Amino acid sequence: MSASAVIPASIAVPLAGAALLAGFNRLLPRWARDLIAIAVALATTTLTLILMAASAGRPMIYWFSGWRPSAGMAVGIDYAVGPLGASMASLAGLLASAALVYCWRYFDSARGRHHALVLIFLAGSVDFCLTGDLFNLFVAFELVAVTAFALTGYNAGYPGPLQGAINFAVTNSLGGMSVLMGVGFLYARTGSLNLAQIGQALTGRHPDGLIVVAFALLTGGFLVKAAVVPFHFWLPDAYGSAPTPVCVLFAGVMSELGLFAVIRVWDTVFSGLAGGSGLRIRAVLLGLGILTAVVGAVMALAQLQLKRMLAFVTMSHLGIYLIGIGLLTPLGLTGASLLVIGDGLAKSALFLGVGVLQHQRASVSETKLRGRGRGLAVTGITIVLGALVLADLPPFVSSAGHALLVDAADQAGLPWMEIVIALSVIASSGAVLRAAARIWLGWGDTESSDADTGAADDPGEEAEGRSDTAGPERTQDQGERSGQQRRVPLTMVLPPLALLAIGLGLGLTSGLEEHAAVAAATFSDRAAYAAAVLGTHSGSIPIGARIVVPASPAASAGGVLTDLGQVLAALCVAGIALVRRALRLRRILAVGTGWLRRLHSGLVGEQVTWLVAGLALLAALGEWALH
Amino acid sequence: MSRRARLAFFTVAAAALAVTLGVGLGGLPSFGSQISAYARMLNGLAQSQRHVTDVVSAISFDYRGIDTLFEEFILLSAVAGISVLLRPLSDETRELPADKAPDRSIPPPSPAVWLLAVFLSSLLVLIGIETVTHGQLTPGGGFQGGVILASAIYVVYLGTNYVTVERFQPAPLLEASDGVGASGYVFIGLLGLLVGASFLSNVVGLGVAGNLISGGTIPLLNLVVGVEVAAGFAILASEFLDQTAVIRTRRR
Amino acid sequence: MSALAYGVVAWLFLVGIYGVVSSRNLIHLVVCLSVAQSATDILLLEIGYRSGGHAPVFVSLPAHAGPAVDAVMQALALTDVVVGAAVTGLLLALAVQVHKRAGTLDPDTLRATKD
Repeated sequence: MSASAVIPASIAVPLAGAALLAGFNRLLPRWARDLIAIAVALATTTLTLILMAASAGRPMIYWFSGWRPSAGMAVGIDYAVGPLGASMASLAGLLASAALVYCWRYFDSARGRHHALVLIFLAGSVDFCLTGDLFNLFVAFELVAVTAFALTGYNAGYPGPLQGAINFAVTNSLGGMSVLMGVGFLYARTGSLNLAQIGQALTGRHPDGLIVVAFALLTGGFLVKAAVVPFHFWLPDAYGSAPTPVCVLFAGVMSELGLFAVIRVWDTVFSGLAGGSGLRIRAVLLGLGILTAVVGAVMALAQLQLKRMLAFVTMSHLGIYLIGIGLLTPLGLTGASLLVIGDGLAKSALFLGVGVLQHQRASVSETKLRGRGRGLAVTGITIVLGALVLADLPPFVSSAGHALLVDAADQAGLPWMEIVIALSVIASSGAVLRAAARIWLGWGDTESSDADTGAADDPGEEAEGRSDTAGPERTQDQGERSGQQRRVPLTMVLPPLALLAIGLGLGLTSGLEEHAAVAAATFSDRAAYAAAVLGTHSGSIPIGARIVVPASPAASAGGVLTDLGQVLAALCVAGIALVRRALRLRRILAVGTGWLRRLHSGLVGEQVTWLVAGLALLAALGEWALH
Repeated sequence: MSRRARLAFFTVAAAALAVTLGVGLGGLPSFGSQISAYARMLNGLAQSQRHVTDVVSAISFDYRGIDTLFEEFILLSAVAGISVLLRPLSDETRELPADKAPDRSIPPPSPAVWLLAVFLSSLLVLIGIETVTHGQLTPGGGFQGGVILASAIYVVYLGTNYVTVERFQPAPLLEASDGVGASGYVFIGLLGLLVGASFLSNVVGLGVAGNLISGGTIPLLNLVVGVEVAAGFAILASEFLDQTAVIRTRRR
Repeated sequence: MSALAYGVVAWLFLVGIYGVVSSRNLIHLVVCLSVAQSATDILLLEIGYRSGGHAPVFVSLPAHAGPAVDAVMQALALTDVVVGAAVTGLLLALAVQVHKRAGTLDPDTLRATKD
């Protein structure tokens, strides 16, 4: 009985904590607000970790309000807790805790409401990962979105965050509407909102126009959140101007939730459709993943504003996760999930490191920060290490995930995928390493011929004594002087290091790949899931026999060599990007990709147009693939 | 891309999306022909199982109660988010509206308008309370009633002025009500856990259908949601009114 | 009858998005977004409609009441309305701040986030 009480507690705790923080924020002193928020976030993380351990064998089904299904028809809403979902929820909790520790004593002009929003974001993410009801998935989607919109525009005194928040809100809101229409269509056809029941109703049926359109609308809406091309234009605007701790949540958790929803809906609802071809759907998803990975990597190299660069790095990795998911095999999903965890920790460490730079040096522009990294050695190490981990440095957990992903691609008959993934990873990590070299080692031209990409407006971050508005009296000198006097607080330095350490620890954990493989297999087994939820008894193949995990891929020499090769290549890219002799090469590349950069104009009208085009395209591709 | 290019691109894309939506909508069952077995079951059972006459409330607060919990928190997040977005920033100050000319003051609200405001706002409060408390009997409930209650504040502002309406918007009380309303829903849900049932189970006595107190936890949830929504929208009114009437850029 | 009823959904959604794409004023954009939102509400309610049905409220019914319409879809539509209101409120707050900080409400002239 106690284990099943953990399930509702995992959302009740953050929700109640957030409501009380928001309601009584005037009564609590600053330290109490911080402490309560961190405690609630840590408690939620613990609860979801317990769920991850408890659901390792088979999914735990929990029916809210006591309504169990009758005669195979779901009456209430259920949570279907599986290790994959619970681990994503734990990641969300961990990153939220790290972000809240980082916020210690800062972000106080919002008096605790900022903390409440982060906790509600966390509760929404937990619900998103655990729910078994399609409409509840939509509601959680919108809850995460609404809190995210508000948190993005936190620095409301600057036009950058405001515009970023508007672009974010408009595009993701349209994505949500698309999801809701898909939900409506599925309900009209199958008469249920429960994922398992809808899946049962569609198994063995031939998809007609309605099902194809429902698939396109649902997947397209979730892909907006996951920032997959061509739905991605809002991401650099939002991530590039949101406050740093919020970026941690976004990059580590929120976008990945979009991909989680895509594969969840596919596995539980659409995977049983007859006719069509799994190969063609795979081609669609892989194509989108490759496009996203490449566009993200190229745009990351072209950025000189650090947060925007990290935004594109995030987007490139999202493309890689979509490749893993799009293979539609449990092994691919295993690789993708380990990558999500490992990269999530590394990306968060990177954003927190950039946040320290912003706090201490009052800038996030690579060119303005050139050579000013002195005195911030720990942050430098954090950023370099984070970039290397993103390039799959062994023995961090990302390299294990990468190895599994490559294996899955090989098994699917696509060995060239490894090259595509390697190129994007090398390019995106190389961009970050180039920035680190310029900032800490002072490399690169004094007068950079690389055009400064309009980062004239550094979104100021709210901190003690620092203005939260772009007032005319704030000069560069004033910012420099006030920054260099201060020591970096421990609460800003420790969280990124802790996250990287966790990544290392997980990577060194033996048996992690086996657990992840079992989790992915459980997740992908539609028939067993439906039986567990609806209580109908049908045979299912024992989970363990489903997939074969290579004995210890991370230890295999080939895997380690490839990963180290990637790391080395990333360092070379960073070097090439700064050396004077490669100037002509850089100029040619800049001209060649100018059209791509001009497309990212930050105008919401254009972003919505791309979204509409993307939805129509997805419908056409779905028709080709499913029919 | 230029504006013209964008509109041309959009026209093509919208046409394609129109075709997509058309195909999807065309696959729907004929308008008005049937409803799902799930809906028919709930229509038939809700009254006997939960002793309420408004099935929509039963679905919102009982059968699918967890959805409404998150919906309530969406509203709480929006209110918290808007008050964060509209908070006075470091280069702003609060100044009450005052007449610029030294020998004049802003005229007080006219007695006729003032009377109308009193009458209308009282009426709105009454209707709001009625809607909140009768949610389990007739269409209505916490969300709808809460909005009606909050609109009374707007009427007061329209009929009087900023200074008067400020007296009806004590910020600490409103925020506390917002928080209590939202956490109240969670705590009522925890009641179910305490007696060993599932979260958000209907564990309070159900009463007789058609009475004011019926449906177990449904009227209680209606009440907390009503408090939360009313407080939330009142905070919104306060924030937006502050921005228009009071918050000014600090003069050097 | 079906074509008209469902066609309204597609029409509202596309017209709303057209308004968003071509808008020159943020307030206008927000209102167009809520027009598109109302299209989804209408879709849900229409899916749940039954000819000759009465509201799912079982009080003061006539003698031969006939079937009731789908109450689940109505509950979903209520949730959607709340979500729409939340997003509209946030966007309006952002518009207020943009007007103060950037001096304009024209989304096409906001150039703070571009490459």
